[in-house]
Amino acid sequence: MPWLQQRLNPLLVCCKCVTVFKQATCHFFLKRQVCFLLARKFTDKHEWISVENGIGTVGISNFAQEALGDVVYCSLPEVGTKLSKHDEFGALESVKAASELYSPLSGEVTEINAALADNPGLVNKSCYQDGWLIKMTVANPAELDELMTEDAYEKYIKSIED
Amino acid sequence: MSGRAVRVLRLGAVPYAEALRVQERCVAAARAARGPAALPVPAAARGGPEEPAAESVVLSEPAQPVYTWGLRGAPGAAEAAALRARGAALVAARRGGHITFHGPGQLLAFPVLDLRRRRLPLRAYVAGLEALVLRLCRRLGLGTARALPPPYTGVWMGDSKLCAIGVHCGNHITSHGLALNCCTDLSWFEHIVPCGLEGKGVTSLSRELGQHVAVSHVLQPFLDSFQEVFECTLVSSEEPGV
Repeated sequence: MPWLQQRLNPLLVCCKCVTVFKQATCHFFLKRQVCFLLARKFTDKHEWISVENGIGTVGISNFAQEALGDVVYCSLPEVGTKLSKHDEFGALESVKAASELYSPLSGEVTEINAALADNPGLVNKSCYQDGWLIKMTVANPAELDELMTEDAYEKYIKSIED
Repeated sequence: MSGRAVRVLRLGAVPYAEALRVQERCVAAARAARGPAALPVPAAARGGPEEPAAESVVLSEPAQPVYTWGLRGAPGAAEAAALRARGAALVAARRGGHITFHGPGQLLAFPVLDLRRRRLPLRAYVAGLEALVLRLCRRLGLGTARALPPPYTGVWMGDSKLCAIGVHCGNHITSHGLALNCCTDLSWFEHIVPCGLEGKGVTSLSRELGQHVAVSHVLQPFLDSFQEVFECTLVSSEEPGV
């Protein structure tokens, strides 16, 4: 278990996400998916969500941004909006086409990416980093299990592209 | 003529709001035709008999003048009051594009297509709409019409826009579409900055061809071009999804 690093007496520090665990059992349980909390999960509508410390960051996938074309406008919800899984939370406009965004989980919007107001192209240039759309709380962590892992999503894209 | 069947609903001269209602029913029918689970078409089913996709095209000519806008371009209170005072309705639409005008003399086409089934990315669909109008223009003798890249999406004659395009895509099903000026009274466009593009004009088929071109004259060449570009067979229908 190479990820189980330094014993900072009596704490264990994961070298990948620098999460500090008090007991070895926490990480042994997670050993297949170290830092699964940080791993991206995907919806079949091409949104992704990555959860850290109970807050999920949401964006669209590379497949989606390529299909959309250059994003010229992002219509995002207000902070405090409560969303259920599958709710429409906004839209992206490209090529005179408005395309809806659907919430991957249930939760409350805590932050929206203000940089997109002046620079909507970030969604194309950096869809997984600077082009994030909203952050939200995770009201029901079990909903994460219903989403696709990166591998499953890659397979999904291949199946719809054929 | 080949490919899957797409229903054509020719509404004639009806209010814009009525065309939107019919469109809503078409979108619901397209969603319902997908089945309960939004899954990609599995490999085994491809190449088999075509399942009904319930795609439609809603064609109408707006009976009264109306200004509409999409996600952006909503008029301020003063501008809205001024536009209403001229006798036009104001309607917000869930589509891309800024403010534009719809009214008598214009062909409004709302293709409700399933882009997932067609494996068509959104921008390729918009390019398809442009290609369709360009074909129509060539059929009518306007060989110099051209489509421009964003933000000038649409079909142009020189610096004047002939056909506006503003589309919505939810769950890969399209709605809204295009507005082609056949014999529209272009003075309605003088009260707005059409599509938010300063310094650009608008034109119509009648103006470009130097003769009166009614919406009814354009319908058949439009449908022919649609069948070619979107590889389908158009079937007249009264009701969407039936």
